Amino acid sequence: MQFDWPALIRRLFSQEAAFAASVAILVLGVLLAYLVWRYTHYFLRDAGVREAVEGTPFERTAQRFGTSTVGLVATLAAVSVYVGAIILALNVSQLLKDVSFWSQFVTFLPNLFVAVFAVIVGLIAGDKARLSVSERLRSVKLPQVELLPDFVKYSIIFLASLIALGQLGVATAALLILLAAYAFGLVFLCGLAFRHLLSAGAAGLYLVLTQPYSIGDEVRIDDQQGIVQEVDIFVTHIEGEGQEYIVPNSRVFSAGVVRIRS
Amino acid sequence: MSALSDFLDDVVADIDAVFLFAPSASLYQSFDDEQDVDVVVIAAENTVDAGTFVELPLEFNELSERVRFGVEGALDEAYVEEDADVICIADVFDDAPDAVVRINVAEFSKSGVYDLFVNSRAEPSVIRDVLEVAIELGKKGQKGKPVGALFVVGDAGKVMNKSRPLSYNPFEKSHVHVGDPIVNVMLKEFSRLDGAFVISDAGKIVSAYRYLEPSAEGVDIPKGLGARHMAAGAVTRDTNAVAIVLSESDGLVRAFKGGEIILEVDPEEY
Repeated sequence: MQFDWPALIRRLFSQEAAFAASVAILVLGVLLAYLVWRYTHYFLRDAGVREAVEGTPFERTAQRFGTSTVGLVATLAAVSVYVGAIILALNVSQLLKDVSFWSQFVTFLPNLFVAVFAVIVGLIAGDKARLSVSERLRSVKLPQVELLPDFVKYSIIFLASLIALGQLGVATAALLILLAAYAFGLVFLCGLAFRHLLSAGAAGLYLVLTQPYSIGDEVRIDDQQGIVQEVDIFVTHIEGEGQEYIVPNSRVFSAGVVRIRS
Repeated sequence: MSALSDFLDDVVADIDAVFLFAPSASLYQSFDDEQDVDVVVIAAENTVDAGTFVELPLEFNELSERVRFGVEGALDEAYVEEDADVICIADVFDDAPDAVVRINVAEFSKSGVYDLFVNSRAEPSVIRDVLEVAIELGKKGQKGKPVGALFVVGDAGKVMNKSRPLSYNPFEKSHVHVGDPIVNVMLKEFSRLDGAFVISDAGKIVSAYRYLEPSAEGVDIPKGLGARHMAAGAVTRDTNAVAIVLSESDGLVRAFKGGEIILEVDPEEY
């Protein structure tokens, strides 16, 4: 809204013409809002959003109110466009004295739309992530593990609400610091916890790609000697006399492998 | 119809356990609430979250096969006693339960079919996948012609040491696993090659074109079966592997473990 459209229109037209123009803007706004509504519908449907959000609590709540996620987003977009048109029309016709507030509101409108959109996407993505994580963990019969899906869900919702608040211009510095601390903790702890797994995985990648030894070869890694039974990304299974060694692949790199040819 | 209900009461009298074959959740609930009998669920998937559960690796068409597998599984997991009387509730014709069978566990001689899947070196799902490939291959053949095939599953290191390549190994430096649909096509294509497939415990296809050289001493398989079956029997006796053979002549799929035929499946019935 850098360019002052209403002022230009008022300068070009007389008072009556400006009124007529504002009515025209209202009608155009309705048309535009309808088109936006329709195309958002089409676009979201073609993008497969309906299938993606199916079964999430947000979609179910939306359906209880007789709408759907797709409908909600489309209506939101249409309402934003329409409110923008109304404010523009009011501006042009000069029906309201205090114009500056409304023009500010118009500039604020896209931010509001993005904020609401971010919250909706965050809620759905959170539910989706929770579902897929709990699906993955279903075979793990451990009560504590039930916490993990919820943890993932609320992390995503936290991020989404942070974006939304940032859009609205609310001071989010404190929350950002919280996020930074959280991200740092996550990276630090994961790095600490997974460092053996990561080094074994990196070594395993090399082993899997180049296969310096393969199943059936007799090898010695450190003191463990036997026939290779299995090589996967993290470990190598070596079967010796009556015992099977499961050696992390990082050890293969640090200690080297002796291939025994007899 | 008092005679009929008397007869039914006799059938279900004094039982120790109930085997439910692929029950619905409500059926399982109603049985689970009973205090005086043990309930064992036998199905391909534990959909009812039963505590005592035996996984069916194959869709056995014959009820007797299913019951045998269930009994061996329940015995192995110590869900039932050696001489328990058991009622099996199963679906024979439809998806709904329509048959009630009373059996005595002691009457079953152990065939080792449960043992084959669960207590082998290779993972149960790998053995199941290989069996499915063999059954499918037996059903369709290779481009319409009947083929034979020999899959040696598990203990791949030892099997590789007791065999030699007949030609270049098409699976060298590849990382393909059975169960992948495209790999199943590959296995079918390569089945026209001579020799055996070697598959590791985790399902990686280690080699094709292998000539197995186990010592065949003391392997006793039914007369009339050919060299392929003899090799399968011998290699499973010599190593801890399981062998799955598709016969070229009679089209049956047989599974070997410890040098003996454990399972015999007719692909046409699946």
